[in-house]
Amino acid sequence: MIRRLPAFCLLLILLVTGQNAAAHGGVVEEDDLCVIKVNYLSAHFKIYQPRVSGHEQFCEDLPVASESVFVMEYQHDSLSVMPIDFRIIRDVTGKGRFARMEDVQEIADLDAATVFYQPATLEPSVYTVLHEFEEEGDFIGIVSATHPDTSKVYAAVFPFEVGFTGWGYWPFIIGLLIVIQLQYLLMSGRLKRWFSGASAVACCLLLVPAYAEAEGLVVTYSTPDGPVEINRMHSWILHVEDADGDAVTGAEIEVDGGMPAHDHGLPTRPRVTREIGDGDYRLDGVRFHMGGHWEISVTVTTDAGSETIVIPLEL
Amino acid sequence: MTVGVVLAAIWFLRDIAPAPWSDAEIALMQSLWLENLPDLPPDPSNAVADDPRAAALGHRLFLDARLSANGAVSCATCHQPARRFTDGLLKGQAIGQSKRNTPSIVGTAYSPWLYWDGRRDSLWAQALSPLEDPAEHGGDRHLVLNVVAADDHYKAAYEQLFGELPDLSVANARAVDSAFANIGKAIAAFERSILPTTTRFDHYVAAVVAGDADRQQAQFSDDEVRGLRLFMDEANYMQCHNEPLFTNNEFHNTGVLSAVGEVPDIGRAAGLVQVMQDPFNCRGKFSDDSPHRCAELDFARSGPELVGAVRTPSLRNLDGTAPFMHKGQLASLAAVLEHYNEAPDAMIGHNEAEPLGLSRRELRQLEAFLDTLAAPFSAYDDNM
Repeated sequence: MIRRLPAFCLLLILLVTGQNAAAHGGVVEEDDLCVIKVNYLSAHFKIYQPRVSGHEQFCEDLPVASESVFVMEYQHDSLSVMPIDFRIIRDVTGKGRFARMEDVQEIADLDAATVFYQPATLEPSVYTVLHEFEEEGDFIGIVSATHPDTSKVYAAVFPFEVGFTGWGYWPFIIGLLIVIQLQYLLMSGRLKRWFSGASAVACCLLLVPAYAEAEGLVVTYSTPDGPVEINRMHSWILHVEDADGDAVTGAEIEVDGGMPAHDHGLPTRPRVTREIGDGDYRLDGVRFHMGGHWEISVTVTTDAGSETIVIPLEL
Repeated sequence: MTVGVVLAAIWFLRDIAPAPWSDAEIALMQSLWLENLPDLPPDPSNAVADDPRAAALGHRLFLDARLSANGAVSCATCHQPARRFTDGLLKGQAIGQSKRNTPSIVGTAYSPWLYWDGRRDSLWAQALSPLEDPAEHGGDRHLVLNVVAADDHYKAAYEQLFGELPDLSVANARAVDSAFANIGKAIAAFERSILPTTTRFDHYVAAVVAGDADRQQAQFSDDEVRGLRLFMDEANYMQCHNEPLFTNNEFHNTGVLSAVGEVPDIGRAAGLVQVMQDPFNCRGKFSDDSPHRCAELDFARSGPELVGAVRTPSLRNLDGTAPFMHKGQLASLAAVLEHYNEAPDAMIGHNEAEPLGLSRRELRQLEAFLDTLAAPFSAYDDNM
């Protein structure tokens, strides 16, 4: 878990002092997410020290010299097709937190300063590297991604400290906390009223159906292989009728679905493989891998337009 | 005084017998009962899958250390029959160290996907892979076929099943690959026979279904009953560990910490790419099904949900198989339950599990229940 409060306070500090978080390198905090910007390409960036602090995430500075896992989860698909290399050097620029790419480029012997280098690799889904720091100190991370077509190199530089205690900010943070708490106590009456108003709005929003049954198409299904059982791949026959009860033929049908409560999709990617006729379509490759509430969305596209119907299902 | 009364009440309540099962609970329990294990799904890609002669040949091949570069590694080196076909190690140890924890073979014939990351789509395609893995058997298909050709018993058994063994000195690559696939098919025929056996849990369900209170009490302690109830009602475990095998054989990211000295495992996101490229997959020319019906490959799902996802293992027969998880990261069942109770954010991808907020006592009850899913060891010793 990224420590939200220090991050929030850091933001306040930055607002107060008027510094730009991006000024010192390629890693910034955005909406409580740590983001690395490789020119215009960005990735969710996090560092773990699994042996000493388990699942705790760090954005830049690391508490101790230990096994450290750097993770970049792409926010732009382009990064998934770009070879990426990763270098960590001791900070020999003397610029500390304000080191930039230009400062790194001025280093005469980059290899001598390098403590870790991962040559360029193509990682389609997520980029990870591991380095075990042997000593504490100031370091600079350099991430370079090469565009596969233009060979243009995009780079990010982020100075960080290993052995960072974070105590430097704490007196200021504690002061801020006291101010915030006082403010809250002063305003709590108004805040409470505001919150109750907001929840009333939320209630009303919930009453609005999440998916409109637009033009009145009706989609029903039957399962020729018998009742739906979990963990078995099976087929459905979808039957599509318009608002007048007439069969809809020649439609393009896309099917997806998932469990809203668990925030995951179907384990397979079912497809309509055949139009049987009379508004019937054969849907193959359906499987549910757990009991509970599922929703299958069926998007029917005809000359008249496109409409998505959601079929709820309890297993 | 008030505190004393409350404490006394808690003390009294903790020992009160568990509530009787509801109809819904009994139905759920039956969905986990071994009696309701469906028939083994056919494997049309393997013509000898259910041929006892193939299983007999496969059994001998499974135990044969000659099928390795150093003559010391067999399938049973890691899949030890006496250890429920696992090895008790973090990761498999053969010629070198495997990349992941050795999974059990029991009941895997039910799974559409093999390996933690599902990088193979049949038992026979899976069985071929370790034979050529430098860290495992360290051999190659020529070594394997030479062993078969040089052993009169093997050669006769092979030719009875598959026809003439190709002469390796002149055979083309296609003939060699085809014969190699046949070796996998024989081993798979044996592995299909390794199925789960009745456990104390199954006896308990039988007693519940029969409405026999005495037999229920003889099988399950109160803590085990409470553990079963937690498992079914509150703990979300049945989302993935469902049906009589206690697995949906699907891929889930549950946020387990990376192994020492390794970056987090990409899991299924990489395994899916591999299975699509495997020449021995369902669509390949060595599959016996014609025309090839490969629904699993045809409808396989890709996407970000698969990053860091690995296949759900069965919860049957866990005792003696620690350490757990795909890299053996968690040393004990208690540690696994603790992990799911906390459900931390995943290092890569998204942890599908949510924190359970169970007490220590409830975790112990769950563990007590899971212990009832172990079949007696002798069931497999007799088999081998």
